[in-house]
Amino acid sequence: MSEITIHHYIALSAIIFSIGVAGVLTRKNAIILFMSIELMLNSSNLALIAFASFMSNPVGQIFALFVIAVAAAEVGVGLAIIVTVYRNRNSINIDDVHLMKG
Amino acid sequence: MLSEYLPVVIQLLIAIGFAAFVLIVTHILGPKRYDPIKHDTYECGVDYYGNAQRKFAIKFYIISVLFVLFDVEVIFLYPWAINLVDLGWQGFWGMFVFLGILTFAILFAWKKGALEWE
Amino acid sequence: MIKIAFIILSLISIFSALMVISRKNPVASVLWLVFHFFGIAGLYVLLGAHFLAAVQIIVYAGAIMVLFLFVVMMLNLNLVNNEKRGKIIGKSIGAVVSGLVLVLFTYSIRTTKWNELFFNQVTDQEWGTAVKLGSLLFSNWLVPFQIVGILLFAAVIGVVALMKRKITRKVENGIVITQEEDVA
Repeated sequence: MSEITIHHYIALSAIIFSIGVAGVLTRKNAIILFMSIELMLNSSNLALIAFASFMSNPVGQIFALFVIAVAAAEVGVGLAIIVTVYRNRNSINIDDVHLMKG
Repeated sequence: MLSEYLPVVIQLLIAIGFAAFVLIVTHILGPKRYDPIKHDTYECGVDYYGNAQRKFAIKFYIISVLFVLFDVEVIFLYPWAINLVDLGWQGFWGMFVFLGILTFAILFAWKKGALEWE
Repeated sequence: MIKIAFIILSLISIFSALMVISRKNPVASVLWLVFHFFGIAGLYVLLGAHFLAAVQIIVYAGAIMVLFLFVVMMLNLNLVNNEKRGKIIGKSIGAVVSGLVLVLFTYSIRTTKWNELFFNQVTDQEWGTAVKLGSLLFSNWLVPFQIVGILLFAAVIGVVALMKRKITRKVENGIVITQEEDVA
């Protein structure tokens, strides 16, 4: 490896995103599922900032800032939904939440 | 610019190193006397029952979510406050509207009794 | 120097991401996630995004993680932690699908001609500070910024509607009766 280029950052971002996908697909605990979604949002942020840095264009950073704000709102509402589900069904295993299964 | 982060790195290394050092040294040097009574939570007094991780009441959660959302608001205040003079009236009114929207948010939460401790 | 820092930080973030999705105890997952966020913040610093590194630590490692830990504690997950073991088929399908996602990414990274798109890495080390970001955010990006405000408002409404219960207590024949009802 000679120099750190855009490839390295994008590859790192892709790896972390795939780890997040694996977490969403394999785990049943709703809170760990949420954490995996956070991993994916973070990897996309990393890609945005890497693009911004290598294009000398700071707009990517603005996007990343908005993504962070959206993630905060999403986590607040999502965890509220999990707590409500837990209150009604006494479980946060996503296999137990199947009332809308046809 | 990157070399300005050297103190941060040194601070982190000192913090991690100190924690590891203390844990390892007390593990090596400390006396080890195993005894079921000594390992009780309360050596004398009431027997414990239940789990250490107790359930919190829901009312704490609303407060902490409101904290996170208004924390994000404050994040947007930093770059505004630094640039206030350069931004002129456009930036001022932009932030005015933003803070106005979030004032409605806190008024809504207040009106619905989310800030009350019952 | 930057190379060594990149390698260390990327190893930290990949390893802690793997730990997040593999721990059985959600509290351990949350703490590894904090570690992951610190690694990512270090990478932001390497890319010159100083303000975003600070935001990452303040918002993610500071506030969002408190929320996660809070919910884990609040639901007392020792009781809930009964993820059914042994569903190997489902787990391996998940692992294969995420591997395919990685293969897809690798393919598209390999076939994109990056050198034509990204030739000039930023040299101005001040470009990621709060001053630069603020002057852009409050001129060209003012309307999306207001929409973020509306989004936060909507989140407050959602949380209050989901969580807030009105508790009324009344005494009947010497017995205290508590009633809970939704407010919104």
